Amino acid sequence: MVDQPNGELPKVLQILARPAGLLPLGIVLTQAVRRMARRRPTLFERLDEHRHASFLVEPSDLDFAFVLVPDGEQASVRSYSKRALPSADVHVKGPILMLLGLLDGTFDGDALFFNRVLSVSGKTDALVALRNTIEDAELKPSDLLGVTGRGAAFLDSAVLRALASARRVVGAPNMGAMP
Amino acid sequence: MSLELVCPAGTPSALRAAVDAGAHSVYCGFRDETNARNFPGLNFSPAELKEGVRYAHQRGAKVLVAVNTFAKAGAMEPWKKAVANVEAAGADAIIVADIAVLDHAARHHPDLRLHLSVQAAAATPEAIAFYADTFGVRRVVLPRVLSVEEIKKLNSAVASTGVETEVFVFGGLCPMAEGRCALSSYATGKSPNLVGVCSPPDFVEYCDEGADGTATRLGGFTIDRFAPGAPAGYPTLCKGSFVAGGKTSHLFEDPVSLNAASLLPRLREAGVTALKIEGRQRGKGYIAEVVRTFRKAVDALEAGRPQVEAEAMLAGLVEGGRQTSGAYQKTWR
Ligand code: SF4
Repeated sequence: MVDQPNGELPKVLQILARPAGLLPLGIVLTQAVRRMARRRPTLFERLDEHRHASFLVEPSDLDFAFVLVPDGEQASVRSYSKRALPSADVHVKGPILMLLGLLDGTFDGDALFFNRVLSVSGKTDALVALRNTIEDAELKPSDLLGVTGRGAAFLDSAVLRALASARRVVGAPNMGAMP
Repeated sequence: MSLELVCPAGTPSALRAAVDAGAHSVYCGFRDETNARNFPGLNFSPAELKEGVRYAHQRGAKVLVAVNTFAKAGAMEPWKKAVANVEAAGADAIIVADIAVLDHAARHHPDLRLHLSVQAAAATPEAIAFYADTFGVRRVVLPRVLSVEEIKKLNSAVASTGVETEVFVFGGLCPMAEGRCALSSYATGKSPNLVGVCSPPDFVEYCDEGADGTATRLGGFTIDRFAPGAPAGYPTLCKGSFVAGGKTSHLFEDPVSLNAASLLPRLREAGVTALKIEGRQRGKGYIAEVVRTFRKAVDALEAGRPQVEAEAMLAGLVEGGRQTSGAYQKTWR
């Protein structure tokens, strides 16, 4: 066990992850969100007017952050270095494994927040709308990567298992975790 | 008849999670002002409700739909439409608070089973008898202000009416007679009883104050301040920290969650029919875990097995990180 606070990545992994900040992650993620909007158009209806809001998502254990505007097929994701974070309507900060756990429904956002694993500021109504939309979406890694068919099931179980082991290794807190 | 576990669902996926985790019944509402949990991004469209009812019925669970805000005088259309949509979806009951909506449902949808929402705050035998006699209400959700002894007396007093009672056993705690609270109207201009949220999220702010921690605000009023790393709560006025008589304290209620799991045997003995879990705004991870734990507790009780350690099992999920048995065994300040 590694005694990282609140499930953050061990220092060595944080250093190893640094080059990822140089990759064109924004472009890849923008394509992924837009592809999802094309495949599941009703998904974004729950956001209502908040689909135009900007969400700064800052993994506390990585050197870079993202700004997401979840506007369906016009959605955009941009990555930023932590040295030059832009302002946004909503700011969410927390360990990357916890943030990913919110996406796939492994964790409950309220529980993470009440226990101060996540910190949030800005337009709470937009954040609540995004949280509820993600909650209902039952997102799987294959949705983001655009993989379908038998490959999707294989990919999902492999990625989810890897994330679950990673959380165990970093000692992530058990808050609303699905079995 | 075993205790019925009534579980929350804010979204179709939460409904499926609750049913799969062992809910006997699931309650939910529409995505509009007719529903007292009208949060952005939450709730059901009529089509989603129909699909949710189908999913639940296939697995032996019931669906109860909350149309439980107070209708606006002269503008009842959304409430009338909601009642019709509940019936069209094939739901098992509708949960209503407003007399006008009850009257409409009783007259125009006589086959709909009527449950009285906690928002109606019916806590006396006279009030319950009135709703039963006038509208044919079959179940009353009791406000969270009664002790177990009071619930027992109430149940024996209404036994002849055949009305069932449902009590909250877990989740956010409203310490006052619901449907009567105007705290958030003062701070935000929006009443929980009309628009469906106390502490509307568009008035909520979490302000990072650096070394001082986080301040939570509602409508510009600072409700509480949390030291860095300390468990925080959603800024609900009744759970805020106020200065009174020269002392700073959580004047009305601590930011804690209700957990009455240890009282299940006494609640059953008090004649309660159904146990309600609060939390339609919570995620499916939370719902699955709470429902599974309570289902184990109810099953253990029915089978005469030792009680399940629900407090310890759910400690990580609760607001403020702390739990209370609320008014069920309260000593008032
Ligand atoms: S502000 Fe508190 S007392 Fe008033 S309705 Fe909300 S939870 Fe209940």
